[in-house]
Amino acid sequence: MAGAFDFAPVIVLLPFLSFVVSLAAGKYLPKGGAFGGIAATAGSLAVSAWVFLTVSQGNVYNETLYTWVAGGETSLSFGLLLDPLAAMMLLIVCLVSMLVHVFSLGYMNDEGETGLPRYYAGLGLFTASMLGFVVADNLLMAFMFFELVGLCSYLLIGFWFRQDGPPSAAKKAFLVTRFGDYFFLVGVVAVFATFGTAKFAGEGAFPVLAEEALHGSAEAVRTFGFAPETWFTIVGLLILGGVVGKSAQFPLHTWLPDAMEGPTPVSALIHAATMVAAGVYLVARMYGFYALSPTALGIIALVGGFTALFAATMGVVKKEIKQVLAYSTISQYGYMMLGLGAGGYVAASFHLLTHAFFKALLFLGAGSVIIAMHHDENMWNMGGLKDRMPVTYYTFLSGSLALAGIVPFAGFWSKDEVLYEALVHGLGGSPLLLAGYAMGLVAVFFTGFYTFRMVFLTFHGEPRSETARDPHDVRWNVKGPLVVLGILAATIGFVNMVPVQDLTGIHLEYLHDWLAHGEISALTAEHYSELLHDYAHYTSADVASYVAGAVSLALALAGAGAAHVLYNVPDPDEHTEKLGAVKTLWYNNYYQDEYQVWIAQSLVLPIARVADTFDQGVVDGVVNGVSSVSLFAGSRIRRIQTGVVTNYAVLLSLGLTALLVVFGLVGGWFA
Amino acid sequence: MVPVQWYLLLAAAVFCIGLFGILTRKNALLFLMSVELMLNAANINLVAFSAYWGNVTGQTFSLFTMALAAAEVAVGIGIILVLYRNFEDVDVTAATEMRW
Repeated sequence: MAGAFDFAPVIVLLPFLSFVVSLAAGKYLPKGGAFGGIAATAGSLAVSAWVFLTVSQGNVYNETLYTWVAGGETSLSFGLLLDPLAAMMLLIVCLVSMLVHVFSLGYMNDEGETGLPRYYAGLGLFTASMLGFVVADNLLMAFMFFELVGLCSYLLIGFWFRQDGPPSAAKKAFLVTRFGDYFFLVGVVAVFATFGTAKFAGEGAFPVLAEEALHGSAEAVRTFGFAPETWFTIVGLLILGGVVGKSAQFPLHTWLPDAMEGPTPVSALIHAATMVAAGVYLVARMYGFYALSPTALGIIALVGGFTALFAATMGVVKKEIKQVLAYSTISQYGYMMLGLGAGGYVAASFHLLTHAFFKALLFLGAGSVIIAMHHDENMWNMGGLKDRMPVTYYTFLSGSLALAGIVPFAGFWSKDEVLYEALVHGLGGSPLLLAGYAMGLVAVFFTGFYTFRMVFLTFHGEPRSETARDPHDVRWNVKGPLVVLGILAATIGFVNMVPVQDLTGIHLEYLHDWLAHGEISALTAEHYSELLHDYAHYTSADVASYVAGAVSLALALAGAGAAHVLYNVPDPDEHTEKLGAVKTLWYNNYYQDEYQVWIAQSLVLPIARVADTFDQGVVDGVVNGVSSVSLFAGSRIRRIQTGVVTNYAVLLSLGLTALLVVFGLVGGWFA
Repeated sequence: MVPVQWYLLLAAAVFCIGLFGILTRKNALLFLMSVELMLNAANINLVAFSAYWGNVTGQTFSLFTMALAAAEVAVGIGIILVLYRNFEDVDVTAATEMRW
């Protein structure tokens, strides 16, 4: 029977086709190939929806499609794994990508940009690689698409390569994420070396083998002399390196704010909704592996909680609208990591879902503002845009309410659930999680503050520049995606209203149900919670979810209220100046860039010099020494080639004579 | 009938004269002649053994050798002509371009 699963490869291939077409023939197509991209992503979206429906009937697809290295023990292959998590992510990526393509018509085409075929080719390739990553059925395939995603981000951030900023930002993004990916690569090799397979699910998948090894029943697992728990933690942390890089977690978050140099739709697609999501998605994808290691989970939670707070504080003082959004992105991904580390698999996936929509919305809204402001991103030159661009304002407001976590917008439900998971498991006996929870809770206040500082500075008060008084118009292709995402940002949270369920008893946790079912029981949320209980020893304290929700809502409202008091006035001041040294510290991003440059120049460079000297001196010296023997011998021996025929004749005769003498001696003629 | 040893001695003498010519002379034409001497020394051996064993195979073979020698002379003369054209001389020690 030809079902949705047989057509699943089309989801990845359509955007790839759009990439090829835009690149090869974009010049001859109307709008630089935009319509091809829209059609391709719409097609992918349709097939994804079909897959989603098929998965909702309880089917899971886990097939190897093509084996490109068939070894005895280990084989490397491409395959598809379509389970509820992947189906959900496919919908997110396809929908956001399609809306970004439409928005690009307004942001790039209408603004008269050049190089559009390159732009749409980049978008197509990016979408294809992200989708490939989502459907990957093994870790190596995931890694390959992970790298492709990084490459596309490099190409798209550096789209305006004639200016100074974008190429440098693109290089930075590529190098910083590559630094994390290096650990990921080592982790992939470690997984192969340990388990002999890198499949995520099914018979003999590596999380299953790891679980059996902890039972003490699997022989095929090599742990290189470590106890299995220790070794699995090491492997998990290695893979986490790639996650930290891609999902912009501390300390590898520095690339993301700089990546705002790229076109704004690209920021929406890559740095908000999808590429950065790849890291978190990877952890969720192999959650059955991470759930076995309480240490790895604790580190994930701590890094996440810290990043959430750390980035939120920096977002408070930024002047550019996209910078605020960039730091909010880092902060929100911190929440997802906190959720995953705290054992909230569903909570983190939920936040991934809601964040993808409201952050894409906010970036596209910012893009709309930037069009209106003739590409001025400084919020201090804006103000009063509320009446001049109402569609952008109300959709942006919807996204902001979701980001700040104000009930009933999407972000409230998901962020609250993340914090709730951290709280109950923390009180259940994990102080690390409590630390993460505390940081996440403080970050809620900052989030509310910086979000509404941004809203008030941009849209409220009096216009503070000529451009803000008479902004550029935006067309349907900008407003359409905003409206779609604005509605989603307001409503998508309703799929999982745990506090309301606890309060009223009405069944409302559809996302829990969604992730809890599926043919492969090892991939379900239920199985993960068993693992967390048995191996990570997570126990839940009894806290009512609505109490936790009320606390975070109160903090978010306090933050938003503070912003209202300070900035919702006709002519706001730069109140953050009063923070003095703290503001300087935040504005300079805690000198993260400086210290990373310092590490590179003062520590890594000398080491690299020593390595270079070793390479040039010792390694090359040995090789050159060996070859110099040949060279010297050759230069001497070639002298017998005199070019005089007589000499050759002499040598020939002497050789013949010598041969005869030898034969004679051996043959005994002279005896 | 002359014993076969005498033929062999004659052939060895002719061969040594040819070899001596090749090792000591500089003139390319003399080279060619010396080579002819060496080839004919071999022919003498072939014919002598042919007569000794009463078998005509050796004589037939010497006919081939003569044809070969004629061909070799044709090639050799050609080389000498080119040599002369390039070096204005037929001295083999002058043409030493093909060395290290």
